[in-house]
Amino acid sequence: MILSPAERAYLYESLVQKPAIRPGARSDHQFRPLEAKTGFLPNSNGSARIRLNDGSECIISVKSKVVVTRGESSLIEVDIDVPGFRDDSNFVSNLKFSLTNLLITKFPVEYLRLTSKYSFKLFIDCIVISHSSYPLSLISLTSYLALKTTRLPLLTSEVNDEEIEEQPTFSDDWDNAKYIHPTFQPPIFITLGVIGENLLFDPSIEEEQVLENGLILSFYKDKVITPIINMNLATNSNNSNFKGLNQKLIIQSINLCNKYCPAIIKALDTLIEQDDENDDTDNHIF
Amino acid sequence: MEVAEVISITKPSSSRPFEDVDDDNDSDVEMNNTTNQSIVTPGELITDDPIWMKGHGTYFINDKTYSSVAGTVSRVNRLLSVIPIRGRYQPETGDHIVGRITEVGNKRWKVDIGAKQDAVLMLGSVNLPGGILRRKSETDELQMRNFLKEGDLLNAEVQTIFNNGIASLHTRSLKYGKLRNGIFLKVPSSLIIKSKNHAFDLTGNISCVLGVNGYIWLYKTNVNNPTSNNNNNNSNNSNNPSITRLEEESSWEIYSDKNDTTITNSIRSNITRYYNIIKALSYCELGITEQRISMGYEASLAYVNLGSLNDKDAMETICQDIINNEKMRGIN
Repeated sequence: MILSPAERAYLYESLVQKPAIRPGARSDHQFRPLEAKTGFLPNSNGSARIRLNDGSECIISVKSKVVVTRGESSLIEVDIDVPGFRDDSNFVSNLKFSLTNLLITKFPVEYLRLTSKYSFKLFIDCIVISHSSYPLSLISLTSYLALKTTRLPLLTSEVNDEEIEEQPTFSDDWDNAKYIHPTFQPPIFITLGVIGENLLFDPSIEEEQVLENGLILSFYKDKVITPIINMNLATNSNNSNFKGLNQKLIIQSINLCNKYCPAIIKALDTLIEQDDENDDTDNHIF
Repeated sequence: MEVAEVISITKPSSSRPFEDVDDDNDSDVEMNNTTNQSIVTPGELITDDPIWMKGHGTYFINDKTYSSVAGTVSRVNRLLSVIPIRGRYQPETGDHIVGRITEVGNKRWKVDIGAKQDAVLMLGSVNLPGGILRRKSETDELQMRNFLKEGDLLNAEVQTIFNNGIASLHTRSLKYGKLRNGIFLKVPSSLIIKSKNHAFDLTGNISCVLGVNGYIWLYKTNVNNPTSNNNNNNSNNSNNPSITRLEEESSWEIYSDKNDTTITNSIRSNITRYYNIIKALSYCELGITEQRISMGYEASLAYVNLGSLNDKDAMETICQDIINNEKMRGIN
């Protein structure tokens, strides 16, 4: 996306004001409204979809497989598909690495243990159907919903199988399936734009073009955790405003995230509760 | 702290609460058979009577006419065509449009106008610095990037449509040219209702170029040169600029990339207000006109916090207000 010099200048001037005047009049810490739906793919253990008003959309499916724990290097595998980008392109591999890395380091793997020999392995498949701004935050919010609503079949065989040669067996009643863990909260990524002294949550594609820097913070269990990444969020265009990052702004961004991200988690959880309540009554996902 | 201040996550709703109010207006098109007007989908058989002439949006196999798009069937005398509900902008001569330069070529610019093909803007169809009487020269060809370069936004008029469907534009009027002092937004072109004026001034010192192609430019009103043509005070000087004025204003300034230095924060927030109103109209799929934007402005004054206009509910309320307002005034 290319902006004309006059557009860039106007947008930059508006965003460095205190408080920033964003094109959609959002406040610094306001996200774009999302539409979300969970648990609509009958063949997956968990699924979620998030759509933005501008048409950005991400669908995630979580599938599980019983594996021998010793034979697996990790119990989570993430795959991301973005139309218009090759699977081995930098863009997609960066997204994939960020998400995989965050989940592997922060996912409480003990919840996936079945027996002393066997575990569940989770396959998280993401399709970004359309995106305008940098999609990592969109993907991670969707993965939050998908993992949170993932249901795994109930184990009926013995947990302790060290002595016996036995494969795990499961209850064939799907109603007995259990969520990964009642208190389990997957980690999420939040994108922030840095411009002047301002930090803007969830920058839109136009805003990304004039940002001085971009920050990606990860948030888990009510606080900001590592990794904290800084990058040029404007993909496929040379952002001439891009420059170094003031250290103070990093501290500030952590404080802001600690302040506002619990609200995001709360909103996501509320949505899941609502989806649970009228599971059968409304089935439309569009 | 309220969750709603940070993020709003809602469930997808299956239906939009608004019906297109302009639906009834279609009846003023002359048709032989108005009762038969219906929605068709691609591949649907419209008629097996070979008497019909096939128009846009149809195809013809073995004397049978099928629809090639999703839309409404329109029959004018013997001509059968399907008007698509959505789709890319189809340029027509005389349309006032907003476009973005995508390519600088030999004596011409390519312009993205949201149509199937990029439009062309010939070097001979722009006002060159130095006035209308100047001929274009080789130096002009060499410095085309100094006038307009890739990414630049301009408003222009569609001059002709070539046989291959490519539109040719011109900016030979002072109301056309490079755009400055504001922001750009896009809506589906089907929502723009064609009218006499597509450039107008709005309350709050804001002007708007409502491109027929769905590209919209919102900017600070230029005090010296009001855009509004229907404004009686200055209708003469903006409709028929004298040659002297053209020469005065056709200096390099018309291709400047510099914004005004005096854009105040209140103007900036007014621009975002209009931005959100147009987004709301587009969300509710209401046709966009100058009048509706103005009514939306009045309705939006109820919202002190402009950020809340991003929410679905707020957008729907604003559109409902506009519809009620129109009903009260007896429009439609």
